[in-house]
Amino acid sequence: MSSILDLLFAFAVWLKTTPLVKLALWIQDTPLTGLINSNIWLAPVVQTTHILAIAATVVSVLMISLRIFGVAGQSRTLAQTAALHLPWIWGALAVLLITGLILIVGEPVRELLNPAFWVKMVLVVVVVLVTLGFQGLVRRHADQWQVSQRGTLALRAGAVAVIVLWCLIIVLGRWIAYAPV
Amino acid sequence: MVLQALWQAIEAWPLSQYIVTSDWLFPTLESVHVIAITTVIGTIALMDLRLLGMVSTTTKVTEVSHDTLRWTWGAFGLALVTGGLLFISKATVYMVNPYFVWKMVLILLAGVNMGVFHVFTWPSVAGWDASTTPRPAKLAGALSLAFWLAVVFLGRMIGFTLDQFIAH
Repeated sequence: MSSILDLLFAFAVWLKTTPLVKLALWIQDTPLTGLINSNIWLAPVVQTTHILAIAATVVSVLMISLRIFGVAGQSRTLAQTAALHLPWIWGALAVLLITGLILIVGEPVRELLNPAFWVKMVLVVVVVLVTLGFQGLVRRHADQWQVSQRGTLALRAGAVAVIVLWCLIIVLGRWIAYAPV
Repeated sequence: MVLQALWQAIEAWPLSQYIVTSDWLFPTLESVHVIAITTVIGTIALMDLRLLGMVSTTTKVTEVSHDTLRWTWGAFGLALVTGGLLFISKATVYMVNPYFVWKMVLILLAGVNMGVFHVFTWPSVAGWDASTTPRPAKLAGALSLAFWLAVVFLGRMIGFTLDQFIAH
């Protein structure tokens, strides 16, 4: 645990040597940051929307994963379950991006110089790539999967990996408030 | 006040003190709490939207319920345990925070809404399982969405107002 904290601390120190410092300070000086912070309800409302979008993503990922394991959505094929829930994931990701950007502009220094924030962003990119890969697979193999009740081993491993990734993303999101800046 | 003494006593428990003095325990409990509540609200919303006839309308209501309910309860248990541990570490601070008190009231109302739905509306589910849901089911779904949305907002407000209501 302490070695992870040491690593995050070293990462925070390194971030301070990058042009991100200038960028964060520049954003902070724009009227946008002041505008976002001028209303005390704005940040909580944006954060609430952010959490609700995470909830939409989590349940969509959960339902697709449970279908892959053959324990939910039994009346549907995997392709049908994916078609039902994937649009929600993409929609929710768009909401997460917009609300996330507002939160960054509201507190640019706390976000852009934060090691937890950047680890979270890397994991977000990974999970988006995995989800895109999954979507491509479903489209290519929809015919076979309409008859198979349970997914392949690779699919099941992918489902577990995506759930773990989202849990880590949530944990890191919370740690942004605590990580050294 | 008697209750005030109770919250102080809870805060003084060794476990409470352990949580509040630890560097990492409070944020970690919060993180697990967020994972739990997003699962609770996500699965509940899926069921609510089905009751409202807005999502997965081609799936039977009983199937949506079968797929989501155990996850709702499991995650709710986890939210209760993590939330309880967060609470005991700062019991006096939370109990004077109106957002916390309202959050508890709304969770209670969400529970009552669910109980009413379960007792009065659910027994007739066989009649509308695969067709249009009756008005009481739609109302339960809409109320549930509203209550849980408010719970998330109030929960987030607690974090912003933690030191605003304690006597200095």
